[in-house]
Amino acid sequence: MRRLTWFNATSLTLGFAFLYIPMIVVIIYSFNESRLVTVWGGFSIKWYGELLQNEAFLDAAWVTFKVGFFSSIIATILGTMGAYVLVRGGRFYGRTLFSGMIYAPLVMPEVITGLSLLLLFISIGLDRGLFTIVLAHATFSMCYVSVVVSSRLVSFDRSVEEAALDLGCTPFEAFRLVTLPIIAPAVISGWLLALTLSLDDLVIASFVAGPSATTLPIKVFSSIRLGVSPEINALSTILIGLVTIGTIAASLTTKRAVMRRRREEQMAEQAG
Amino acid sequence: MPETVFAPWNDPAEKPLIQFRNVTKRFGSFTAIDDLSIDIFEKEFFALLGPSGCGKTTMMRMLAGFETPTSGTIMLDGQDISPIPPNKRSVNMMFQSYALFPHLTVYDNIAFGLKRDKLPKDQIDARVKEMLRLVQIEKFGQRKPEQISGGQRQRVALARSLAKAPKLLLLDEPLSALDKKLRQDTQFELMDIQEKTGTTFVVVTHDQEEAMTVASRVAVMDHGRLKQVDTPDRIYEAPNSTYVADFIGDVNIIAGHATTQGETVSIAWADGQPPIIGTPSKPMDDGKVSFAIRPEKVAISAEKPTDRNNMVQGKVLDIAYLGNLSTYHVQLPSGIVIKAQTANSRRRASRPFTWEDEVWLSWTDTAGIVLES
Repeated sequence: MRRLTWFNATSLTLGFAFLYIPMIVVIIYSFNESRLVTVWGGFSIKWYGELLQNEAFLDAAWVTFKVGFFSSIIATILGTMGAYVLVRGGRFYGRTLFSGMIYAPLVMPEVITGLSLLLLFISIGLDRGLFTIVLAHATFSMCYVSVVVSSRLVSFDRSVEEAALDLGCTPFEAFRLVTLPIIAPAVISGWLLALTLSLDDLVIASFVAGPSATTLPIKVFSSIRLGVSPEINALSTILIGLVTIGTIAASLTTKRAVMRRRREEQMAEQAG
Repeated sequence: MPETVFAPWNDPAEKPLIQFRNVTKRFGSFTAIDDLSIDIFEKEFFALLGPSGCGKTTMMRMLAGFETPTSGTIMLDGQDISPIPPNKRSVNMMFQSYALFPHLTVYDNIAFGLKRDKLPKDQIDARVKEMLRLVQIEKFGQRKPEQISGGQRQRVALARSLAKAPKLLLLDEPLSALDKKLRQDTQFELMDIQEKTGTTFVVVTHDQEEAMTVASRVAVMDHGRLKQVDTPDRIYEAPNSTYVADFIGDVNIIAGHATTQGETVSIAWADGQPPIIGTPSKPMDDGKVSFAIRPEKVAISAEKPTDRNNMVQGKVLDIAYLGNLSTYHVQLPSGIVIKAQTANSRRRASRPFTWEDEVWLSWTDTAGIVLES
């Protein structure tokens, strides 16, 4: 193993400092006694208490959760179906155009997506609220799901599906009993991606959200315009905590899967 | 017990299980199968043999229902199967990649097809256990495909495709993923299982040795057409074209001009060499021919043989020692190289010939095949 040179050590420190100092500052100041954000007034957890009393924040959090839940499920179903048709549907007319169009929303500026959705909802007379945010989020995140799932489908051995048909499955049964279980990891990671995108989104949501429904990012952004309150720091710290736990859990699961695979390979060798 | 040879193809009263009638399959402008007709009979072990791209896999996929013919009909048991989807056909397939379901155990892989038929649970269980026994993998029922070796996966794939007791089993390069030793053992097991279950097997392979070993009949294909359909020994000893002669085994092919002399023909082939005397399988006209002779039918000797009509003299150019056999490449004065093969039946015998030795090659009147070309 190569030793850590001073150059590598410096880049490592600088890189991580760059990434994490802002977050550490937020976390430290969330425990600040003082109402003034930039002046340290002693340790306290009172802002966490106030946050939990703040109906507006709790409502926004609940809306965000509901939007994320429903939109990611819709996006996962539609995205998986789209990927399946594009990869497996054979050579139908305009297929290349369609596969290109799946990727277009990934590079489309969010402002444009948000604006066009807003115009659409107004023109068909749909009241803005929770429902429109769900629709908007499902629309843009299904493309991401589609990309993730289709990359898995491309590397999928087609003859496994043919074997299912050969053994008496209808095409739908073959999908449900064979294809879906095999691509499940990709579908799940697509779903997680859609969920994260929805929880994060500020731009599109602010176009299509109505007075009846406000998501957490919108709430945070609008309250910051009135000055940063220590409550926001507390909220951010909670979110950072949740993300950290999620990431650690995900990497532990992956690690366990890798270990299990290694064990299985050993078993196969012994069996051989 | 009366000795009966299994040869339903010679019995005009026998009804074929599979009939291809003028089947053509095109993919765009590429013709994969070109106006092909063939009968395959019940309980046959039929091998489709040919280089890659010859259309053998397309034929198999049409039987399974994954492709439909562009024109012509395919009959199974007297019924046109073109409109029947793969899941409704009494045909099962063993895939080259085995196509095992990675998320199911070996047991559930084999039970998969039976469950689709909505059989009662105890019947499924009995059948799966029977299959596990048949292919000798009882121990591995609860393992996942990843947890067993390649040879065992091949057995699972075979068991799964046989579980539904199909009228016809298709095997796509069934042994190509196994190493040579295991492949040879498995060939015999495959024949054994075919005999035990009485299922009609159609196997696609590019391995001529495999086809010759397992099959009751072999169809040699090229460019979407059948070149010859015959028993392995006829394919080897009586090929009907230079393509078949060349594709199966090793062969010397000599071009010449034939003149009929009663039962035999005299073939003029090179300046300064006596003509080759050959025996054609059917009466033929004078004209250009190819004379094909297998290396093991060419004798090599230091002294001039006295009992044979066909003999030539040449120099040993190369020796390929294979352990059990040695192949000598002998160059004639005209530059033509003829291969002669001898069995190394004695251990430690000093090699009778070496490079640059002058030797005599000889063969009998009936050793070679005269092919019109």
